[in-house]
Amino acid sequence: MAEKILNIPLSEQDVRDLRVGDVVYLKGRIFTSRDMGHFTVKKLMDEGKPLPVDFEGAAVFHAGPVVRKREDGGYDLVVIGPTTSIRMEPYHKMVADLKIRAIIGKGGLAEGSLKQFEESGQVYLQAAPGCAVVLAEGVRRIENVFFLELGVPEALWVLDAEKFGPLVVGMDAHGKSVYAEIRKEADQRNAALYG
Amino acid sequence: MLEGALERESDETPKSMLRAMLENEKKAGEQGKPVCQSPGFPTVYVSFGDNSLPGQDLKKIWAEELVRGTKNQLLRPSMVHPLTRVNPGDNSGTGVPNFEFDYNPGQEYLEMIVSFKGCGAELANAMQIFTVAKLEKDKNYAGLKRWVLDTVIKGGGKPCPPAAIGIGLGGQMDVACKLARKAVSVRRWDDVNPDPMYAELERELLENVNSLGIGPAGTGGKTTLLAVKVEGVSTHTAIAPAAITFHCWTARRAGIRLFPDGREERIF
Repeated sequence: MAEKILNIPLSEQDVRDLRVGDVVYLKGRIFTSRDMGHFTVKKLMDEGKPLPVDFEGAAVFHAGPVVRKREDGGYDLVVIGPTTSIRMEPYHKMVADLKIRAIIGKGGLAEGSLKQFEESGQVYLQAAPGCAVVLAEGVRRIENVFFLELGVPEALWVLDAEKFGPLVVGMDAHGKSVYAEIRKEADQRNAALYG
Repeated sequence: MLEGALERESDETPKSMLRAMLENEKKAGEQGKPVCQSPGFPTVYVSFGDNSLPGQDLKKIWAEELVRGTKNQLLRPSMVHPLTRVNPGDNSGTGVPNFEFDYNPGQEYLEMIVSFKGCGAELANAMQIFTVAKLEKDKNYAGLKRWVLDTVIKGGGKPCPPAAIGIGLGGQMDVACKLARKAVSVRRWDDVNPDPMYAELERELLENVNSLGIGPAGTGGKTTLLAVKVEGVSTHTAIAPAAITFHCWTARRAGIRLFPDGREERIF
């Protein structure tokens, strides 16, 4: 299988070219965000206040890293891996409005996101779960951090990625979700087994 | 167990996920880094007999160790207030770690098993108070089994499959939930239940869950669960409580038995 490396910021075309099952790597700036991060961005937008980073064409990683603070005040990445994405499902409209192109996480998102992806040109990328050492190897350094008052896991970390992955396209911009398809087949199998 | 799962897969996607997991475990060991960024939630299972009472403030000792491990970047600071979500930054907090004490008259050693269970897995958990009719006892408990498979299907890729599940049966809600967590946390995943009925239930559920096609990472494949562990206790005649707790593929746990004569025995 040929290795496909995509550069961030991502264009709408970059994302529309991807199909469920494709394996990709990312290069460039990746932002982490999870429950409280999404909540805080939403609050800032509602209040009309500026955001700490430009999300246009961004890849947002549902994750909270383990970090080590250096003597000069900066941070080194120890390990990082995906958290369960479904918790961020309520923010799909906001994520589209910010023109975020790729969401990285585990377990996938729901129907609302899938429709949004088709409309806005976005994808969901599944990272290998519990593989925090391997994934951290694809990150050169931590560039910056915002919202650190939310705690290390919930802060918005800016990662400089060299070759981040492997990532499997779990939901594409054409209405396909590997999670929804697997679930449909599994439901039929359960019904055949136990009525 | 992951190596066995890798051998069973034929498609490239589940293989790539399992290879990443095996490579990750190897590298984490070599580099002295945590396998996963999330330390999960810690519970310490302590059991003792009349001649092996703890004799020390175990709660204080374990809480201090968690803070120390956090300062050494072995654990991410993940414990927060349940409502305000304020994070003290060092994994300290009320009820952290959680303790389950078990008094066994006649047990000569003090046993402690610490289990760090991931919390993405918690999002897939389920609990139900069945009634006798809903168990479908006449159909070999099809009602219960359908619910277990349905719960694994709904869990999908959330609990970091290939996962393991603990199933607690009986008691009331609290009893069934604690049994489920304990079953998957303290039992070896490759053991055989000494109760033949539960052993058969574990075997059947594992086989049928793995025929669902959910697979490693939830993106398709032949191994969705590595283990099913069932524990049961008696309940009231009006109810049939059942609880399912998921454990991600990384079984981060360690145990020790301390004997009165100073001997030590490691578990796992």
